[in-house]
Amino acid sequence: MSQISFKIITPERTLFSEMVDQITLQTTEGEITVLPGHIPIISTMSPGELRFVQGNEEIPMVVLGGFVEITKTSVIVLADAAEKVEEILEERAIEAKKQAEELRQSKIADREDFAALSAKIEKELARLKVAQKYKKRKRPRL
Amino acid sequence: MSQSREIKRRIKSINNTKKITKAMEMVSAAKMRRSVDKVLISREYSNIAWEIVQSIASTDIKYKHPLLRQVKEVKNVAVLAISSNRGLCGGFNSNLGKKLLSACQELDQQKINFECLSFGKKVAHTIRKNNFDIVADFDKPDLLQNITTISPITHLLLNGFIEKKYQKVLLVYTDFVSSLKQEPTVKQLLPLKPAPDDQLGQVQKVGEKDKEKNKQSTKDILEYKFEPSPQAVLDEILPRILEIQIYQAVLESDASEHSARMIAMKNAFSAATDMIDSLTLAYNQARQAAITQEIAEIVAGAAAI
Repeated sequence: MSQISFKIITPERTLFSEMVDQITLQTTEGEITVLPGHIPIISTMSPGELRFVQGNEEIPMVVLGGFVEITKTSVIVLADAAEKVEEILEERAIEAKKQAEELRQSKIADREDFAALSAKIEKELARLKVAQKYKKRKRPRL
Repeated sequence: MSQSREIKRRIKSINNTKKITKAMEMVSAAKMRRSVDKVLISREYSNIAWEIVQSIASTDIKYKHPLLRQVKEVKNVAVLAISSNRGLCGGFNSNLGKKLLSACQELDQQKINFECLSFGKKVAHTIRKNNFDIVADFDKPDLLQNITTISPITHLLLNGFIEKKYQKVLLVYTDFVSSLKQEPTVKQLLPLKPAPDDQLGQVQKVGEKDKEKNKQSTKDILEYKFEPSPQAVLDEILPRILEIQIYQAVLESDASEHSARMIAMKNAFSAATDMIDSLTLAYNQARQAAITQEIAEIVAGAAAI
Protein backbone atom coordinates (compact mmCIF):
# COMPACT_ATOMS: atom_id res chain seq x y z
CA MET A 1 0.00 0.00 0.00
CA SER A 2 1.39 3.36 -0.95
CA GLN A 3 2.15 5.82 1.74
CA ILE A 4 2.52 9.54 1.97
CA SER A 5 5.20 11.45 3.79
CA PHE A 6 3.76 13.53 6.56
CA LYS A 7 5.34 16.31 8.59
CA ILE A 8 4.03 18.54 11.33
CA ILE A 9 6.34 21.44 12.01
CA THR A 10 5.85 24.23 14.47
CA PRO A 11 8.20 27.12 15.18
CA GLU A 12 9.18 25.30 18.38
CA ARG A 13 9.87 21.83 17.04
CA THR A 14 9.26 19.18 14.44
CA LEU A 15 6.48 17.23 16.04
CA PHE A 16 6.17 14.43 13.57
CA SER A 17 7.88 13.33 10.38
CA GLU A 18 7.16 9.85 9.04
CA MET A 19 5.38 7.92 6.32
CA VAL A 20 1.68 7.42 6.97
CA ASP A 21 -1.32 5.98 5.15
CA GLN A 22 -3.86 8.75 5.43
CA ILE A 23 -4.38 12.05 7.15
CA THR A 24 -7.54 13.82 8.19
CA LEU A 25 -7.25 17.49 8.96
CA GLN A 26 -9.35 20.58 9.59
CA THR A 27 -8.97 23.30 7.04
CA THR A 28 -10.85 26.55 7.28
CA GLU A 29 -13.19 25.10 4.64
CA GLY A 30 -13.90 21.97 6.60
CA GLU A 31 -12.49 18.57 7.30
CA ILE A 32 -10.54 16.86 4.54
CA THR A 33 -8.88 13.48 4.30
CA VAL A 34 -5.70 13.12 2.31
CA LEU A 35 -4.58 9.89 0.69
CA PRO A 36 -1.46 9.37 -1.40
CA GLY A 37 -1.80 10.95 -4.83
CA HIS A 38 -3.92 13.86 -3.65
CA ILE A 39 -3.99 16.93 -5.88
CA PRO A 40 -1.71 19.72 -4.68
CA ILE A 41 -3.47 22.08 -2.34
CA ILE A 42 -2.37 24.89 -0.12
CA SER A 43 -4.86 25.72 2.54
CA THR A 44 -5.15 27.49 5.84
CA MET A 45 -6.01 25.41 8.86
CA SER A 46 -8.42 26.02 11.66
CA PRO A 47 -7.63 24.97 15.21
CA GLY A 48 -8.78 21.45 15.79
CA GLU A 49 -8.10 17.79 15.63
CA LEU A 50 -5.83 16.08 13.16
CA ARG A 51 -5.80 12.31 12.76
CA PHE A 52 -3.57 10.14 10.72
CA VAL A 53 -3.50 6.43 10.07
CA GLN A 54 -0.24 4.61 10.27
CA GLY A 55 -0.49 0.86 9.84
CA ASN A 56 -3.44 -0.26 11.93
CA GLU A 57 -3.35 2.69 14.22
CA GLU A 58 -5.17 5.94 14.14
CA ILE A 59 -3.26 8.63 15.96
CA PRO A 60 -4.87 11.94 16.95
CA MET A 61 -3.10 15.26 17.44
CA VAL A 62 -4.14 18.84 18.03
CA VAL A 63 -3.13 21.51 15.59
CA LEU A 64 -3.72 25.13 16.51
CA GLY A 65 -3.88 27.13 13.32
CA GLY A 66 -1.38 27.46 10.55
CA PHE A 67 -1.42 26.15 7.03
CA VAL A 68 -0.85 22.99 5.07
CA GLU A 69 0.87 22.18 1.81
CA ILE A 70 -0.33 19.00 0.12
CA THR A 71 1.42 17.48 -2.88
CA LYS A 72 1.05 14.04 -4.44
CA THR A 73 3.69 12.56 -2.22
CA SER A 74 3.81 14.72 0.86
CA VAL A 75 1.77 16.62 3.38
CA ILE A 76 3.48 19.37 5.32
CA VAL A 77 1.62 21.07 8.12
CA LEU A 78 3.17 24.32 9.26
CA ALA A 79 1.30 24.88 12.48
CA ASP A 80 1.41 27.78 14.90
CA ALA A 81 1.39 25.17 17.62
CA ALA A 82 0.67 21.47 17.73
CA GLU A 83 0.53 18.79 20.38
CA LYS A 84 0.14 15.10 20.71
CA VAL A 85 -3.01 14.22 22.54
CA GLU A 86 -1.22 12.62 25.44
CA GLU A 87 0.78 15.80 25.93
CA ILE A 88 -2.22 17.98 26.55
CA LEU A 89 -2.64 18.82 30.15
CA GLU A 90 -6.31 19.25 30.51
CA GLU A 91 -6.17 21.31 33.66
CA ARG A 92 -3.77 23.69 32.07
CA ALA A 93 -5.94 24.05 29.01
CA ILE A 94 -8.98 24.82 31.15
CA GLU A 95 -6.99 27.31 33.16
CA ALA A 96 -5.65 29.02 30.05
CA LYS A 97 -9.08 29.29 28.54
CA LYS A 98 -10.51 30.73 31.73
CA GLN A 99 -7.74 33.27 31.94
CA ALA A 100 -8.22 34.33 28.36
CA GLU A 101 -11.93 34.77 28.88
CA GLU A 102 -11.42 36.76 32.03
CA LEU A 103 -8.99 38.97 30.22
CA ARG A 104 -11.51 39.56 27.53
CA GLN A 105 -14.11 40.64 30.02
CA SER A 106 -11.95 42.78 32.23
CA LYS A 107 -10.18 44.66 29.52
CA ILE A 108 -11.92 46.98 27.15
CA ALA A 109 -9.21 46.03 24.77
CA ASP A 110 -8.62 47.55 21.38
CA ARG A 111 -9.52 45.60 18.33
CA GLU A 112 -6.18 43.94 17.84
CA ASP A 113 -6.01 42.65 21.40
CA PHE A 114 -9.54 41.41 21.12
CA ALA A 115 -8.78 39.44 18.00
CA ALA A 116 -5.71 37.91 19.58
CA LEU A 117 -7.70 36.94 22.65
CA SER A 118 -10.50 35.42 20.64
CA ALA A 119 -7.99 33.40 18.69
CA LYS A 120 -6.45 32.19 21.92
CA ILE A 121 -9.80 31.16 23.33
CA GLU A 122 -10.62 29.31 20.14
CA LYS A 123 -7.32 27.47 20.31
CA GLU A 124 -7.75 26.48 23.91
CA LEU A 125 -11.24 25.24 23.13
CA ALA A 126 -9.94 23.07 20.32
CA ARG A 127 -7.29 21.69 22.57
CA LEU A 128 -9.80 20.88 25.28
CA LYS A 129 -12.25 19.29 22.90
CA VAL A 130 -9.72 16.88 21.52
CA ALA A 131 -8.30 16.10 24.93
CA GLN A 132 -11.70 15.23 26.31
CA LYS A 133 -12.64 13.21 23.29
CA TYR A 134 -9.69 10.91 23.70
CA LYS A 135 -9.56 10.88 27.47
CA LYS A 136 -11.96 8.01 27.97
CA ARG A 137 -10.89 5.93 25.06
CA LYS A 138 -7.98 3.69 25.74
CA ARG A 139 -5.33 4.35 23.24
CA PRO A 140 -3.13 1.61 21.82
CA ARG A 141 0.44 1.96 22.88
CA LEU A 142 2.78 3.46 20.34
CA MET B 1 64.92 46.50 40.61
CA SER B 2 62.76 49.16 38.98
CA GLN B 3 62.37 46.97 35.92
CA SER B 4 61.00 44.05 37.86
CA ARG B 5 58.51 46.28 39.62
CA GLU B 6 57.31 47.45 36.23
CA ILE B 7 56.84 43.86 35.07
CA LYS B 8 54.98 42.99 38.24
CA ARG B 9 52.54 45.81 37.65
CA ARG B 10 51.87 44.58 34.14
CA ILE B 11 51.28 41.02 35.32
CA LYS B 12 48.74 42.32 37.79
CA SER B 13 46.84 44.29 35.17
CA ILE B 14 46.82 41.38 32.73
CA ASN B 15 45.54 39.16 35.48
CA ASN B 16 42.57 41.49 35.87
CA THR B 17 41.92 41.39 32.14
CA LYS B 18 42.08 37.64 32.28
CA LYS B 19 39.44 37.52 34.97
CA ILE B 20 37.15 39.82 33.04
CA THR B 21 37.48 37.90 29.79
CA LYS B 22 36.82 34.64 31.59
CA ALA B 23 33.65 36.05 33.09
CA MET B 24 32.53 37.42 29.74
CA GLU B 25 33.24 34.10 28.10
CA MET B 26 31.03 32.34 30.58
CA VAL B 27 28.22 34.86 30.18
CA SER B 28 28.26 34.61 26.41
CA ALA B 29 28.49 30.83 26.57
CA ALA B 30 25.21 30.80 28.46
CA LYS B 31 23.64 33.28 26.07
CA MET B 32 24.98 31.35 23.13
CA ARG B 33 23.43 28.11 24.27
CA ARG B 34 20.06 29.78 24.58
CA SER B 35 20.17 31.52 21.23
CA VAL B 36 21.60 28.53 19.37
CA ASP B 37 18.78 26.36 20.70
CA LYS B 38 16.31 28.91 19.50
CA VAL B 39 17.78 29.20 16.05
CA LEU B 40 18.06 25.46 15.45
CA ILE B 41 14.53 24.80 16.60
CA SER B 42 12.93 27.29 14.28
CA ARG B 43 15.25 26.76 11.35
CA GLU B 44 13.36 23.83 9.88
CA TYR B 45 10.07 25.65 10.08
CA SER B 46 11.41 28.70 8.34
CA ASN B 47 13.27 26.70 5.69
CA ILE B 48 10.22 24.70 4.77
CA ALA B 49 8.04 27.78 4.82
CA TRP B 50 10.52 29.44 2.49
CA GLU B 51 10.48 26.47 0.12
CA ILE B 52 6.72 26.54 -0.02
CA VAL B 53 6.71 30.23 -0.80
CA GLN B 54 9.29 29.72 -3.50
CA SER B 55 7.24 27.02 -5.13
CA ILE B 56 4.11 29.13 -4.89
CA ALA B 57 6.01 31.95 -6.52
CA SER B 58 7.18 29.76 -9.37
CA THR B 59 3.71 28.57 -10.30
CA ASP B 60 1.25 30.64 -12.26
CA ILE B 61 -1.65 31.81 -10.22
CA LYS B 62 -4.51 33.82 -11.56
CA TYR B 63 -4.81 35.94 -8.49
CA LYS B 64 -1.87 38.32 -8.47
CA HIS B 65 -0.96 38.99 -4.90
CA PRO B 66 0.99 42.25 -4.63
CA LEU B 67 3.84 40.42 -2.93
CA LEU B 68 4.17 38.05 -5.88
CA ARG B 69 4.56 40.95 -8.26
CA GLN B 70 7.08 40.46 -11.00
CA VAL B 71 9.76 43.10 -11.19
CA LYS B 72 11.05 44.17 -14.55
CA GLU B 73 13.41 46.95 -13.69
CA VAL B 74 15.04 47.42 -10.33
CA LYS B 75 15.40 51.06 -9.38
CA ASN B 76 15.15 51.14 -5.63
CA VAL B 77 16.41 48.53 -3.24
CA ALA B 78 15.85 48.30 0.48
CA VAL B 79 18.67 46.70 2.43
CA LEU B 80 17.99 45.51 5.95
CA ALA B 81 21.22 44.93 7.84
CA ILE B 82 21.19 43.03 11.09
CA SER B 83 24.07 43.24 13.56
CA SER B 84 24.73 43.34 17.28
CA ASN B 85 24.47 46.28 19.63
CA ARG B 86 27.77 45.73 21.33
CA GLY B 87 31.28 45.07 20.23
CA LEU B 88 33.94 42.76 21.68
CA CYS B 89 32.87 39.91 19.50
CA GLY B 90 35.82 39.44 17.20
CA GLY B 91 35.27 40.05 13.53
CA PHE B 92 31.52 39.61 13.76
CA ASN B 93 30.46 43.16 13.02
CA SER B 94 33.32 44.09 10.74
CA ASN B 95 32.76 41.03 8.55
CA LEU B 96 29.11 41.90 8.30
CA GLY B 97 30.04 45.49 7.49
CA LYS B 98 32.32 44.31 4.69
CA LYS B 99 29.58 42.15 3.24
CA LEU B 100 27.16 45.06 3.39
CA LEU B 101 29.68 47.35 1.71
CA SER B 102 30.37 44.95 -1.12
CA ALA B 103 26.65 44.40 -1.71
CA CYS B 104 26.05 48.14 -1.71
CA GLN B 105 28.96 48.78 -4.04
CA GLU B 106 27.61 46.24 -6.45
CA LEU B 107 24.27 48.03 -6.44
CA ASP B 108 26.08 51.30 -6.89
CA GLN B 109 27.91 50.06 -9.95
CA GLN B 110 24.65 49.00 -11.51
CA LYS B 111 23.39 52.52 -10.83
CA ILE B 112 20.66 51.28 -8.57
CA ASN B 113 19.44 53.38 -5.71
CA PHE B 114 19.40 51.76 -2.34
CA GLU B 115 18.17 52.63 1.10
CA CYS B 116 19.43 51.01 4.26
CA LEU B 117 17.54 49.93 7.32
CA SER B 118 19.50 48.92 10.35
CA PHE B 119 18.72 46.61 13.22
CA GLY B 120 21.53 46.83 15.75
CA LYS B 121 23.72 49.76 16.74
CA LYS B 122 26.94 48.57 15.21
CA VAL B 123 25.69 48.31 11.67
CA ALA B 124 23.86 51.62 11.97
CA HIS B 125 27.24 53.13 12.74
CA THR B 126 28.82 51.48 9.69
CA ILE B 127 26.05 52.75 7.44
CA ARG B 128 26.38 56.28 8.74
CA LYS B 129 30.15 56.23 8.36
CA ASN B 130 29.80 55.30 4.71
CA ASN B 131 27.17 57.96 4.07
CA PHE B 132 24.56 55.55 2.79
CA ASP B 133 20.94 56.56 2.88
CA ILE B 134 19.48 55.31 6.09
CA VAL B 135 15.70 55.36 6.22
CA ALA B 136 15.13 53.65 9.51
CA ASP B 137 17.17 52.61 12.50
CA PHE B 138 15.36 50.10 14.66
CA ASP B 139 16.31 49.58 18.27
CA LYS B 140 17.40 46.07 18.85
CA PRO B 141 16.55 44.56 22.22
CA ASP B 142 19.28 42.52 23.84
CA LEU B 143 17.05 39.55 24.13
CA LEU B 144 14.58 38.98 21.37
CA GLN B 145 11.40 37.87 23.08
CA ASN B 146 9.01 37.14 20.24
CA ILE B 147 8.18 37.86 16.70
CA THR B 148 6.15 40.98 17.44
CA THR B 149 9.41 42.85 18.08
CA ILE B 150 10.21 42.83 14.41
CA SER B 151 6.73 43.42 13.03
CA PRO B 152 7.39 47.16 12.44
CA ILE B 153 10.33 46.20 10.25
CA THR B 154 8.29 43.70 8.29
CA HIS B 155 5.52 46.21 7.93
CA LEU B 156 7.84 48.84 6.51
CA LEU B 157 9.55 46.48 4.07
CA LEU B 158 6.44 44.74 2.80
CA ASN B 159 4.48 47.95 2.43
CA GLY B 160 7.40 49.52 0.62
CA PHE B 161 7.34 46.65 -1.81
CA ILE B 162 3.58 46.64 -2.24
CA GLU B 163 3.48 50.38 -2.81
CA LYS B 164 6.22 49.94 -5.43
CA LYS B 165 8.63 52.12 -3.51
CA TYR B 166 11.13 49.27 -3.55
CA GLN B 167 11.59 46.76 -6.29
CA LYS B 168 13.83 44.55 -4.26
CA VAL B 169 14.43 43.83 -0.60
CA LEU B 170 17.69 42.37 0.65
CA LEU B 171 18.58 41.03 4.05
CA VAL B 172 22.18 41.26 5.20
CA TYR B 173 22.82 39.17 8.26
CA THR B 174 25.24 36.67 9.72
CA ASP B 175 24.27 33.10 9.11
CA PHE B 176 24.99 30.75 11.97
CA VAL B 177 26.82 27.73 10.57
CA SER B 178 28.38 26.39 13.75
CA SER B 179 29.70 27.90 16.93
CA LEU B 180 33.08 28.20 15.22
CA LYS B 181 31.87 29.45 11.90
CA GLN B 182 29.51 32.30 11.13
CA GLU B 183 29.00 33.53 7.65
CA PRO B 184 27.80 36.98 6.66
CA THR B 185 25.17 36.49 3.96
CA VAL B 186 22.94 38.47 1.68
CA LYS B 187 19.52 37.04 1.09
CA GLN B 188 16.93 38.29 -1.30
CA LEU B 189 13.63 38.53 0.48
CA LEU B 190 11.61 40.14 -2.29
CA PRO B 191 10.71 39.70 -5.10
CA LEU B 192 10.07 36.07 -4.37
CA LYS B 193 10.87 34.92 -7.84
CA PRO B 194 14.44 35.83 -8.58
CA ALA B 195 15.30 36.71 -12.15
CA PRO B 196 17.48 33.98 -13.68
CA ASP B 197 20.46 36.26 -14.27
CA ASP B 198 20.33 37.63 -10.78
CA GLN B 199 23.32 36.46 -8.84
CA LEU B 200 23.13 38.75 -5.84
CA GLY B 201 21.52 37.28 -2.83
CA GLN B 202 21.29 33.72 -4.01
CA VAL B 203 22.46 31.86 -0.98
CA GLN B 204 22.17 28.18 -1.44
CA LYS B 205 24.64 25.56 -0.56
CA VAL B 206 25.77 23.37 -3.43
CA GLY B 207 24.18 20.20 -2.14
CA GLU B 208 20.92 21.94 -1.50
CA LYS B 209 20.92 23.36 -4.98
CA ASP B 210 20.76 19.92 -6.55
CA LYS B 211 18.04 18.91 -4.21
CA GLU B 212 16.20 22.07 -5.01
CA LYS B 213 16.50 21.37 -8.71
CA ASN B 214 14.96 17.93 -8.40
CA LYS B 215 12.23 19.32 -6.31
CA GLN B 216 11.65 22.15 -8.73
CA SER B 217 11.29 19.78 -11.66
CA THR B 218 8.61 17.81 -9.88
CA LYS B 219 6.93 20.88 -8.56
CA ASP B 220 6.88 22.73 -11.83
CA ILE B 221 4.19 20.44 -13.10
CA LEU B 222 2.09 21.04 -10.02
CA GLU B 223 -0.69 23.51 -10.10
CA TYR B 224 -1.64 24.28 -6.57
CA LYS B 225 -5.22 24.55 -5.62
CA PHE B 226 -5.94 27.04 -2.91
CA GLU B 227 -8.60 26.61 -0.34
CA PRO B 228 -10.76 28.56 0.40
CA SER B 229 -9.44 30.85 -2.35
CA PRO B 230 -6.03 31.91 -3.61
CA GLN B 231 -6.62 35.38 -2.28
CA ALA B 232 -7.56 34.29 1.21
CA VAL B 233 -4.70 31.84 1.49
CA LEU B 234 -2.01 34.06 0.02
CA ASP B 235 -3.13 37.11 1.97
CA GLU B 236 -2.69 35.16 5.12
CA ILE B 237 0.43 33.13 4.55
CA LEU B 238 2.70 35.33 2.46
CA PRO B 239 3.21 38.15 4.95
CA ARG B 240 3.56 35.62 7.71
CA ILE B 241 6.20 33.55 5.99
CA LEU B 242 8.15 36.66 5.07
CA GLU B 243 8.01 37.84 8.64
CA ILE B 244 9.28 34.47 9.77
CA GLN B 245 12.19 34.79 7.37
CA ILE B 246 13.19 38.11 8.88
CA TYR B 247 12.75 36.73 12.36
CA GLN B 248 14.90 33.74 11.51
CA ALA B 249 17.60 36.06 10.14
CA VAL B 250 17.59 37.95 13.43
CA LEU B 251 17.84 34.71 15.39
CA GLU B 252 20.71 33.53 13.20
CA SER B 253 22.44 36.82 13.77
CA ASP B 254 21.94 36.60 17.53
CA ALA B 255 23.31 33.09 17.72
CA SER B 256 26.28 34.12 15.60
CA GLU B 257 26.95 37.14 17.76
CA HIS B 258 27.08 35.21 20.98
CA SER B 259 29.22 32.44 19.53
CA ALA B 260 31.58 34.97 18.01
CA ARG B 261 31.86 36.76 21.32
CA MET B 262 32.46 33.56 23.20
CA ILE B 263 35.26 32.57 20.84
CA ALA B 264 36.76 36.06 20.96
CA MET B 265 36.74 36.00 24.76
CA LYS B 266 38.22 32.53 24.81
CA ASN B 267 41.05 33.73 22.59
CA ALA B 268 41.56 36.79 24.75
CA PHE B 269 41.66 34.61 27.83
CA SER B 270 44.31 32.28 26.42
CA ALA B 271 46.30 35.22 25.06
CA ALA B 272 46.28 36.72 28.56
CA THR B 273 47.44 33.42 30.02
CA ASP B 274 50.30 33.23 27.53
CA MET B 275 51.28 36.79 28.23
CA ILE B 276 51.33 36.24 31.96
CA ASP B 277 53.54 33.20 31.46
CA SER B 278 56.11 35.06 29.42
CA LEU B 279 55.98 38.07 31.70
CA THR B 280 56.49 35.87 34.75
CA LEU B 281 59.55 34.40 33.06
CA ALA B 282 60.86 37.88 32.30
CA TYR B 283 60.15 38.94 35.87
CA ASN B 284 62.05 36.00 37.32
CA GLN B 285 64.95 36.61 34.99
CA ALA B 286 65.09 40.27 36.00
CA ARG B 287 64.91 39.35 39.68
CA GLN B 288 67.68 36.77 39.29
CA ALA B 289 69.82 39.27 37.38
CA ALA B 290 69.38 41.81 40.15
CA ILE B 291 70.38 39.27 42.81
CA THR B 292 73.41 38.15 40.85
CA GLN B 293 74.50 41.70 40.36
CA GLU B 294 74.09 42.46 44.05
CA ILE B 295 76.19 39.44 44.99
CA ALA B 296 78.80 40.44 42.45
CA GLU B 297 78.91 43.92 43.98
CA ILE B 298 79.27 42.58 47.49
CA VAL B 299 81.99 40.18 46.44
CA ALA B 300 83.76 42.95 44.56
CA GLY B 301 83.45 45.20 47.63
CA ALA B 302 84.88 42.50 49.92
CA ALA B 303 87.74 41.88 47.49
CA ALA B 304 88.57 45.57 47.49
CA ILE B 305 89.05 45.54 51.27
